[in-house]
Amino acid sequence: MKVRVTDIQHFSLHDGPGIRTTVFLKGCSISCPWCANPECISSKIQGDFGYDISLEKLEDEILKDEPYYETGGGVTFSGGEPLLQIKNLESLLKSLKLKNINICFETSLFVKKDYLNIANFYADEFIVDIKLLNKENAKNILNGNIDQYLDNLNSLDLNKTTFRIPVTEYSLNDEDLILELIKKYVPKKIEIFKLHNLAKKKYEILNKEFYYKEVSDVNLINFRDKLNEFVRTEIIEI
Amino acid sequence: MASVKFINIAKSVFFKLEQYDFTKKFLIYSLITRKQNWKNKNLPKTLTGALPNYAHFYTPSLKDSKGVQLKNLFSKLDINISKDNFIFTIDEFKTVNYKYRIADNLSIDYSKVLNTSINELKEQFNDFDDYSLNQMSTLEAIEILIDRIVQKLNASGRTDRQELIDYFENIKTDKVKTFKEALQRILFFNQLLWQTGHNLNGFGRLDYVLDEIYNRDDITKDEALGLIKQFLKSAHSYYEYKSNSLIGDTGQIIVLGGLNGENDYFSNDLTYLFLKAVKDLNQPDPKLILRYSKETPKDLLSLAIETMATGVGSPLISNDEMVIPNLINFGYNAQDAYNYVVSACWEPAPVGKGLELNNVDSFVFIVPLNQLLDSEDLSQFSNFDEFLSSYKNYLIKYTNNLLDEINSQNWEMDPLLSLFIDDCNQNHLDFSEGGAIYNNYGLTSVSLSNTINSLYNVKKLVFDDKKYTLKELNDARKNNFNDEFILDDLKSQIKFGMDNDEILNLTNEVTEFVSEVFKSRNNKFGDKFKFGLSAPSYISKSNVDASLDGRKNAEPFNVHISLEENNDYTELMRFASKLDYSKHRFNGNVVDFMVSPDFIKKNFEKFTDFIKLSLDMGVFQMQLNVVDSKTLIDAQQNPDKFPNLIVRVWGFSTYFNDLPKDYQDVLIKRALEHEGKSN
Ligand code: SF4
Repeated sequence: MKVRVTDIQHFSLHDGPGIRTTVFLKGCSISCPWCANPECISSKIQGDFGYDISLEKLEDEILKDEPYYETGGGVTFSGGEPLLQIKNLESLLKSLKLKNINICFETSLFVKKDYLNIANFYADEFIVDIKLLNKENAKNILNGNIDQYLDNLNSLDLNKTTFRIPVTEYSLNDEDLILELIKKYVPKKIEIFKLHNLAKKKYEILNKEFYYKEVSDVNLINFRDKLNEFVRTEIIEI
Repeated sequence: MASVKFINIAKSVFFKLEQYDFTKKFLIYSLITRKQNWKNKNLPKTLTGALPNYAHFYTPSLKDSKGVQLKNLFSKLDINISKDNFIFTIDEFKTVNYKYRIADNLSIDYSKVLNTSINELKEQFNDFDDYSLNQMSTLEAIEILIDRIVQKLNASGRTDRQELIDYFENIKTDKVKTFKEALQRILFFNQLLWQTGHNLNGFGRLDYVLDEIYNRDDITKDEALGLIKQFLKSAHSYYEYKSNSLIGDTGQIIVLGGLNGENDYFSNDLTYLFLKAVKDLNQPDPKLILRYSKETPKDLLSLAIETMATGVGSPLISNDEMVIPNLINFGYNAQDAYNYVVSACWEPAPVGKGLELNNVDSFVFIVPLNQLLDSEDLSQFSNFDEFLSSYKNYLIKYTNNLLDEINSQNWEMDPLLSLFIDDCNQNHLDFSEGGAIYNNYGLTSVSLSNTINSLYNVKKLVFDDKKYTLKELNDARKNNFNDEFILDDLKSQIKFGMDNDEILNLTNEVTEFVSEVFKSRNNKFGDKFKFGLSAPSYISKSNVDASLDGRKNAEPFNVHISLEENNDYTELMRFASKLDYSKHRFNGNVVDFMVSPDFIKKNFEKFTDFIKLSLDMGVFQMQLNVVDSKTLIDAQQNPDKFPNLIVRVWGFSTYFNDLPKDYQDVLIKRALEHEGKSN
C-alpha cells in the first residue's frame, strides 16, 4: 500500500506536542487562497512536488526519530488534507499505535464523516483549523461546505483538540461566529497565527495566484484576548 | 593586507638586529612566526606594541640549565600590579628560550597547586641528580618571582595589598585556605605557564578542584559569583598575547561537571556559578565545557543551554557516557579516565598525568585520496572495492609518513610542567623525556567529511550508476570543476552527516582502518597514537587540490561533524550517534551546528529535550553556533555595529570582528545553507 506525500519533515516543533515528524500528504478537499503548502492541494504529482511512498518506508522514516518522541512527540499527519488518504494509511496507523507512537492529525475537517471516524479511533491529538464560518465565504473562498465542517465538529474529541485559526480578513469578519463556536466546543487550547509570504516561490512554480494580505498586530492581539476569555490562546508563528 | 605589511616590517626589524645577540632575534622571530596566521586587519596590539619595544626583549641563554634559565627569566620580568581584581601579570617581551617544540596544550591538575606548598615540593628534591637540581632551581625561580610580586604589592596603593601579600607568601609555605586565595593561586600558576612559552593552557575541572575549599569557606553564593567573575576577567587579560593561530584561540578551557564513577555525577554550586558568570559577562574567553551524563541535573543542562543561547559560544558539551568508556578501553586507568579534561579544543585526556599531546598534528584524509587519483592508472579499477582498497594502501603510506615525521620531533625540557605531572618527580625524569605516566599522541582529522563524500561519489556515479568513468571525474577535478554538470552531480548525492547506512558504513570502515594502522604504530615513548573525527584546521590545512566531493582547489573543508544541507537536526544527531568512536578514534568528536538565537528562545523546552536525547542516543560531543546569517552579514559589512558579536570557530569562541575574512565567510555560508537560503 502506498500514500502520496510531498515531504516528511523531522524535528517539527510546531505541529503538536514534543518533537515530531510531520508527514505532508498530498491532496486537499478545499483550497484556501493563503495556503502555505499550495503544492499539497492537488492530489496529482506536479513536477518535483509529490511522490508515492510505501507504508513500510513511511513507517521506517517515522520510527527513525523514535528516541525523540519521549518528549511527548510522535507523528503528525498534515498536508493537504491527511484524512483524504486515511483508508490507505490505516494499517500504518495500527502498527504505530501498537508501538505506542503518538499520532496527531492536522485537518480542516472538510471531509467525509467516515474518514473522521477512522482518524478518531487512532488519534491522540487533533489540530483543527477554523478558517472562517460563514456559509457563503466557505463556498466562495474555500470551496467547501461549512455544514459538513460543523457536523464533523460534533464527532470530534475536544479533549484531544487544538484549534488553529489563521487570522485573515475572513476570520476577523466571522469573529462573532467563531467566539460562539468556541463557547460551544471548548478545545484544549487555541493557536492563532498571521499569514506569511514564505510560500510565494512555490506559488510561482505552480503558476498559481498568491493571496497575501497583512493583518495588523493590534487585530491579532485583540482577537487573542477575546478568545482567551474562553480558553488558553497563543499566538504562534508557522 | 596589513598583515603582509606587518610581517615585512617585522622582518626588516629582524634583519636590522644583526648587532643584537641571537636570542633577541630569535625571540622576535618566534613572536612573528607564532602570530603570523593573524591575517586580520586589526593588528594585534601586542605585536604592534612589541616591535618598538625590542629593547625590552629578553630570553635567557640556553647555556644554563633549564632551572637556572627560569631563575634568570623570573628575576627580570616587568611586573604589573593592577589597581583592583586579582594579580595576573605577564611580561610580553620576555620569554623562555628553546631548542625544540615546547610541549603544551595541556591542563595541569590545579588541585596539586592548591594543596601543596613550594616547601613541600622541595622536600622531594634533596638529591643532587640533574633532575632534582633543575626542579630545585625552578622552585627557587618561582620564589624569586613571588618575592618580587610581594615587593611590588607593598609599594602599590592597593588597600587590599596585605591580603594579597599573604596569598603570595602562602604559596611558599602553605596550602590554600580560602576560596579567594585559591583563585589567586590558580591564576598565578597559570600565568607562569604563559610566561614560559606554553600555549593553550587549560584550567581543568575548576568546580571539582575547588569543591572542598568552597565548602569549607563560609562565603555566600553571591560572593563566590563575584569572585568567579573577577577570576574570569583576569584570565581574559592578555587575550591577544595568549591567542594562538587566531585571535581567541587561547585554549583557556574550564571543564565543569562530570562523572566521578559509574552513575555518580558530580556537580556543585560552582558548576552553576561558572556558567552563570560566563552567561552574565558575555566575554568569549575563557570558555566552558560541560561534561554531561544521563545523571546531569535537568536544571544544569538548561542553564548550559541558556548560556549557549546568549551567543557566547560556550559551553561545549562533552558526553561522559561516550568519552569515558572509550578512554578506559584505550588503556587509561579508570580513575584517571573519570577525571578527564580536554585539550584545546576538545580532545579528552586524564588531567596532570601525561605528555598527552592531543593536537600533535592534523590527519588530512583527502591527501592520500588525491595522491591515488594523481598517481594510479584509473582504468584498473573494475569495482568500488578495488578502488577503496587502493585508497587504503595510500592511507597506510600517508599515515606512516606522518607518524614517522611526528616521531622525529623532540620536546623541550620542561621542569615547570614536570613539577605538576605524575610521575615525573618520582621517576626523576623530565616529562619531555617520558617521565609522565601517559605519553600518547593525538591527531585531529581534517576533511573526513569531504573524503567520505568523494568516495561515495566514486561508488555511486562511477561503479553503481556508471554515469561517468573515474577518469572523467578525475579530469573534471583536475580542471577544478569547470564543468557545472559534473559539479552538480557530485554535490547532489547523499552525504556525510546524513543518516544513511551506506554513508555510515563507509565512514566507519575508513576510520576503523585508520584506527588499525594507528594501532600498529607506537610513538617515540612506546605509547600510542589516537585520533578524533572532528577537524579544527578546516581552513588552514585546506590548501589542497580540488576533491571529488565537488570542493574546488583550496576551498575550505567541511567543518567537524556537520551538515548544513537541511534543517533536520535529528538526522545529523542520528548520524553522529551511529559513528564508531571506539579504539583509537576518541580524540575529540564534535558535532557542530548552527541555530538561530530566536529559535532556541522560542522553543527552549523542546530544544533542551532535543539536546539531552541526542546525547543519550550516543552523540560524543557537541557545540552550537547561535547566530543567524542576517546578523553575520551585517556584522561583516558594519563591524562597528557589532563589537561584541561572539562566534564559535573550532574549539574556541571569539569576536566575529577579530576573525580573518575567510573564516567569517565560512560561517556566513554555513548559516545561509542552514537556513535554507543558499543558491
Ligand atoms: S486546508 Fe490546509 S492544505 Fe488545504 S488548502 Fe487550506 S491551508 Fe492548504
